Amino acid sequence: MKARQQYELLPDETLRAPRAGAGSGEPPRPPLALLHAAPLASTPRREWWAAVQFEPGITSVELERQARRAQDFTPRVSLAPPDAVLLELHGCLRLFGGSANLERILRGAFPAPWRLAFAPTPLAALVFTRSAQAVCIDETTQLAGALAPLPLAALRWPDDVVQRLAAVGVRTIGAVLRLPRAGFARRFGPGTLTTLDRLVGRQGDPHQGYVAPERYRRRCDPDVELTDQAAVLEVLSPLFDELEHFLRVRQRGITSLMLQLVHRHHAPTRHVLRLAAPALQARQLLRLLELQLSRTGLPAPVRRCELRSGPLVEAAWDSAGLWRPGEHGGGAAAAESPSFLEQLRARLGEGAVTGLALAADHRPERVSRPTPPQLGRAPRGDPSAPSLPWAAGRRPVWLLERPAPLGEQAAWPCRDGHRLRLLSGPERLETGWWDGEEIERDYYQAQDAGGARLWIFRDRRPPHRWFLHGYFS
Amino acid sequence: MSSGAEISEPIERLLQHPSLWRGRNLARAETFPSGFAALDAALPGGGWPRTGLVEVLVPRHGVGELSLWLPLIAARSTRPEGRWCAFIAPPHQLFAPAFAAAGVDLSRLLIVHARPALWPLEQALRSSACDLAFCWLERVRPKELRRLVLATEQGATPAIVFREAAARREASPATLRLSITPRPDGVRVQLLKSRGGSREPVDLRFPWLPA
Repeated sequence: MKARQQYELLPDETLRAPRAGAGSGEPPRPPLALLHAAPLASTPRREWWAAVQFEPGITSVELERQARRAQDFTPRVSLAPPDAVLLELHGCLRLFGGSANLERILRGAFPAPWRLAFAPTPLAALVFTRSAQAVCIDETTQLAGALAPLPLAALRWPDDVVQRLAAVGVRTIGAVLRLPRAGFARRFGPGTLTTLDRLVGRQGDPHQGYVAPERYRRRCDPDVELTDQAAVLEVLSPLFDELEHFLRVRQRGITSLMLQLVHRHHAPTRHVLRLAAPALQARQLLRLLELQLSRTGLPAPVRRCELRSGPLVEAAWDSAGLWRPGEHGGGAAAAESPSFLEQLRARLGEGAVTGLALAADHRPERVSRPTPPQLGRAPRGDPSAPSLPWAAGRRPVWLLERPAPLGEQAAWPCRDGHRLRLLSGPERLETGWWDGEEIERDYYQAQDAGGARLWIFRDRRPPHRWFLHGYFS
Repeated sequence: MSSGAEISEPIERLLQHPSLWRGRNLARAETFPSGFAALDAALPGGGWPRTGLVEVLVPRHGVGELSLWLPLIAARSTRPEGRWCAFIAPPHQLFAPAFAAAGVDLSRLLIVHARPALWPLEQALRSSACDLAFCWLERVRPKELRRLVLATEQGATPAIVFREAAARREASPATLRLSITPRPDGVRVQLLKSRGGSREPVDLRFPWLPA
C-alpha cells in the first residue's frame, strides 16, 4: 500500500520539482531523472481495468471499431475476443476527473447493449461483465470477496475442467480460490492456476495492446475553386506521390481508395476506386481516377479534396518483365491484366466487367452466371467445378435474357411468319419445384427460314406457348 | 530399318508449323489453326491471323458466327499462359454450358457490357492483356476501324468484329473480311477480303451439332 502511494504522488512531484528547485536556489532536478529514480520496476504497477462486453453476436470488425472508440479514453486498449474490449484506465483517471466521472463518460460512449465493469485486474473485470455484475472495484483486496459468489462458467475454462470441479462440489469462484494450490496445480495444470493468480492480481496479466490498422488519409484545400478535372488532378498529383511514398516505406499496397470532393453549391461527391490487385504505384491510381472523373464529371466547382485509402494489404514490389505478356517467351499476363481490368471498371462501372461460370443447376436461367473476373487461374480438375451432363452441341452459345414468345400457326412454332423446322428434341427439363421457380419445358433445336439454329421450348403448363430461348450461333 | 511413312510424318508435321514459311504460301502470315480443315485450306497462311482486324459480316445475330470461333477460343483459353478472351458488347448472354462443352476454360472469358464498344475494344487491343477480342459493333466509321487496326498491331491481339451484312458495301481496312450465312448444320463462309486466300465459299459443318 505504501508503494502505491509513492507512485501516485509521483506526477505531482514531477511537476513541482523544477519550480521548487528554481525558487530555493537548488539546482533544478529534471523530471525525467525523478521518473527514472522511482522504483517502478520493483513495485507492482497499479492498474485499473474496465471491461466492456457487447452482444454475443458482435462481429470482429465491429469489435475493432469499438476498440478504436475506446482509444479515445486510454492508449492501453486490448481486444478480448469474441465479444469484449479491455481498457486500462488508471493512467487517465486524473484527466477525466476521477473514477466516478470516467465511469459516467464511458457509459455514454458505447452503443447499447453492453455491460461494463471495473476491477484492478483485466480478467476480473471480464468475469464481472460475463456474469452481468455491473460493479466498480478499486482495490485488489476487495476483489476476492466480490468474485466469490460468481459461477465458474464466467472464467470460460474448458468444459471438462468445470465438470471435474463441479463433481467435487466446487461451483463458484470463491470455492475454487479456497482449494489448496499445490493440489490444484497438480490436477488441473499450472496454466489453470496461473489464471486464478491473474484473476485476483497475485500475478501480472500482460495483454497485447490493440493497434488500429493504418490508412492513408489526406485533405487538401486548394487556394482557388477548381472548375475542371485537369485542375483537380493537378492538385491531387502531389498527394498521390505522397501516397506512393507512404506505401513504399511500409512495403504495402492498397486495394481501394476513395476521393471525396467538396463542392460549392452541391453535396460532396465520392469516387471510389476498387482494384483487382494491390496497387503500389501512384501514377496508375491517378490514371484510373482520371478515367472515373471523365465518366462522372464534376457537378460543381471543387473546394476541397479528401483522399482516403482502404486498409493496407501485403504487396510485393516487383520488377517489370522483360517481355510483354503474350510475346514469344513472355509469360501470362498476370502483371498487365489487373490494370486492364481496373481501367475498364473505372470507366464503365463495377458491374460492366464480368467473368462467366457454371452453376450446378439444370435451369438455363441459372446454370450460367456472371462472376467477378478471376485473376488467378483455377486449378485444373477443380473438384468444385460441376461436371457437364450435356454433350457438346446440346446447348446454345447465346441465351436470351428472358424467353421470347414465338408466333404460332396451328400450335406449331413460327418465326417471322414462317414455320420453324424442328431438328432435334424434345429434351424435357422439369426442375426447381423446391424454390418456387419451377420450370416444366420441352426443349427443341429448330431452324428458321433464314437457316439460323434456335433453341426453343414449349411450356408444358397451360397455355402451352412456344418460346425462343437461345441461338446456337 | 525405318520405312518411308515413318520419316515423312514428322516432316509433314514440321512443315505445318505456322512459323515455317514455304514459298507455296502466298502470304507469310502467322496464323492459328481454325479447327476446320476446309477453312484452314481457304484462309491465307492456313488459319486465322494472329494479329489484325477480322471483320465478320452476318445477316443477323445467331447464325453461327460465334460457333465458328469456338475451336480457337478453346485452344487459346486452355494454354497455361492464356490471357483473357474478351467479349465486348455481346447482343445476348453468353451461355456457359456451350462454352464448357466445347472445352473452353471459362475462367479466361471476360465479358464487357459497354456501348459504344469502341473504347473497351481499343483498351483490350492495346493493353496486350487479351488473347482474343470479340466485339459487336453497330455503327462504325472507317476512320475508327483504321484506329483499331493500329491498336491490334500494337498489342498483338487479333480483333474479331461482328457487323451487319449491310456494311459489305463500305470500304474496310480489315486484314480479313468474311461474310457468314447459316446452313442447317454449320455455316457458309465467304472470304470477301484476304491476302491470298481463296475466293470460293467454304461450307463448314459444326461437328458438335447433332444431325
